[in-house]
Amino acid sequence: MLGFLFRRLGDIIPTFFGVTLLVFFLIRLIPSDPILMMAGERGVDAERYAELQAQYGFDQPLIVQYFDYLMGVFQGDLGKSFVTKKPVLDEFLTLFPATVELAVMGILFAVILGIPLGVLAAINRGKWLDHLTMSVSLTGYSMPIFWWALLLIMFFSTTLGWTPVSGRISVMYFFEPVTGFMLIDSLLSGEKGAFTSALSHMILPTVALGTIPMAVIARMTRSSMLEVLGEEYIRVARAKGLAPMRVIMVHALRNALIPVITVIGLQVGVLLAGAILTETIFSWPGIGKWIIEAMNRRDYPTIQGGILMIAFLVMAVNLIVDVLYGIINPRIRYKR
Amino acid sequence: MALLEVKNLTVEFGSEDKPFRAVDSVSYSVDRGEVLGIVGESGSGKSVSSLAVMGLIDFPGRVSADALTFDGQDLITMPAKRRREITGKDIAMIFQDPMSALNPCFTVEAQIMEALKVHEGGNKKQRRERTLDLLNQVGIPDPKSRMTAYPHQLSGGMSQRIVIAMAIACNPRLLIADEPTTALDVTIQAQIIDLLLKLQEDSDMGLILITHDLALVSEAANRIQVMYAGQLFESGPADSIFAAPRHPYTQALLEALPERSEGHDRLRTIPGVVPGQYDRPQGCLLAPRCRYANEHCVKSRPEVTDFNGRDVRCFYPLNDQGQPTGLTADTTTGETV
Repeated sequence: MLGFLFRRLGDIIPTFFGVTLLVFFLIRLIPSDPILMMAGERGVDAERYAELQAQYGFDQPLIVQYFDYLMGVFQGDLGKSFVTKKPVLDEFLTLFPATVELAVMGILFAVILGIPLGVLAAINRGKWLDHLTMSVSLTGYSMPIFWWALLLIMFFSTTLGWTPVSGRISVMYFFEPVTGFMLIDSLLSGEKGAFTSALSHMILPTVALGTIPMAVIARMTRSSMLEVLGEEYIRVARAKGLAPMRVIMVHALRNALIPVITVIGLQVGVLLAGAILTETIFSWPGIGKWIIEAMNRRDYPTIQGGILMIAFLVMAVNLIVDVLYGIINPRIRYKR
Repeated sequence: MALLEVKNLTVEFGSEDKPFRAVDSVSYSVDRGEVLGIVGESGSGKSVSSLAVMGLIDFPGRVSADALTFDGQDLITMPAKRRREITGKDIAMIFQDPMSALNPCFTVEAQIMEALKVHEGGNKKQRRERTLDLLNQVGIPDPKSRMTAYPHQLSGGMSQRIVIAMAIACNPRLLIADEPTTALDVTIQAQIIDLLLKLQEDSDMGLILITHDLALVSEAANRIQVMYAGQLFESGPADSIFAAPRHPYTQALLEALPERSEGHDRLRTIPGVVPGQYDRPQGCLLAPRCRYANEHCVKSRPEVTDFNGRDVRCFYPLNDQGQPTGLTADTTTGETV
């Protein structure tokens, strides 16, 4: 198991280089100049411009800038934001819990709804329940997040008034963040109604973000389940006289989940990409919104740092998925 | 009263108005301590009929029978829950391919103990002891270390022993073995059959041995049932069927045995294949492949009749010399095909 972990960690290193390379050079392909952006409408004179270029190192050849950046990254220094002048890593760590909270809720929503829906569809194959679940999940999958989020806001917040439109918690509550996770902090604060407020702010973003992964998971579970249900060992399990529920939930589901777990891992990447849109629409103060703002201002260090951290996160999650995979599938665990 | 009584069992698939009969009015019975051999080519309905006995035919398959009783209890009208109490406990089944019969995600121990837990209860320690016993009984070397093995770590023969241990875990009174040796090496085949017969003898079980290996049933079975395209073609005591087959199909099957082909350049075969869903002949299902078939056989279907104490589905059952009987002038109007 330990060897397996190390091998997987080894795979991460080249991916990491690839990401830094891509991010660094792709941003510089965007036609604009961060110094001019920072100067705004006033503009700068040529002398000050050259001075600033030297200060940010833009006068160096690109390749030198890249290696400077890379050296920084290896020392844990992601640079300072052009806009706020604060270290990128600090900003990231402050905003990160908000995104994690949203992503975790999104994936929970997707898994808790997607797997049972897939199982239900599979055991009712060809019947109306199957058609219903599958068409709903196809609709969910085809719906662009920004459109879906707006529809949700229009219906549940504006028309019905059930949930707030945006933000993480109502402005009437204020407390110092402890964990950075609003649901937990609001509970810890002991303020009456804070948790309910945080939770109600959570609902629509969660649904908006979790819908696509939910649809993917439901469809994957269904097809995987159907395949497994046709296996001989399912017949053997039934021949033991087991109740149908046990055959499905224990013998079939455990095997059917193997490919589903992989898909869930892959969806984490999709989820973080989706978080950028979701956070923007719901004014959610997380890294998605932060990166979008950084892009608008050509804040190179923030964009680079943010994307690098997200890539790192996706790799970490997939590593965890691989480990989980080994736990659930004995055939992988014992492979030498 | 026989342990298992099957009367006119029919299994249909497909639409109501144009059903495909995978099993067509098959009757048989098995007693305690008896070995019934069911033989036939692939697609003859051997497996489907035993799955129907186990209650494992799923929608859209339809099972009907005049009688399907186990130890006097009607399996067809019985509630599903009650039937599951019998399935796996009193009636157990062994499947063809041991490599796919074990769930890849669970240990050997977990899979055997599961059957015990459902039917016998008891605590975990008792179940574990019983499992160890069972592994010993089916001849697994070093059973203790095999308990926690996963199926992919076992060979085919070993897996089949585990499958057998699983089937006999609750001391079934009837064991259905569906081609238990087909997927195994020849050397392992004999061992597995010996094991099955020993277990059967020791506990006085009824055993249904489904196979297409005639040599195997000739040694093992008390009675033999020959099936073809879902129908019963001939049944009777094993030795008398081998001595004097009454049905042309049985005769052809026996002639195809290598040991009966001495003096021939090639092994004798039966031309053609078992008719499937879409190419069922109108008359006798064997007519296109039967060496004795005439126009009467092509036009109408024979019923099962008693011929010298043997059930035979043929218009012209064979006599002791292996020649068709009852071919009279008025029935032999056509050329033999």
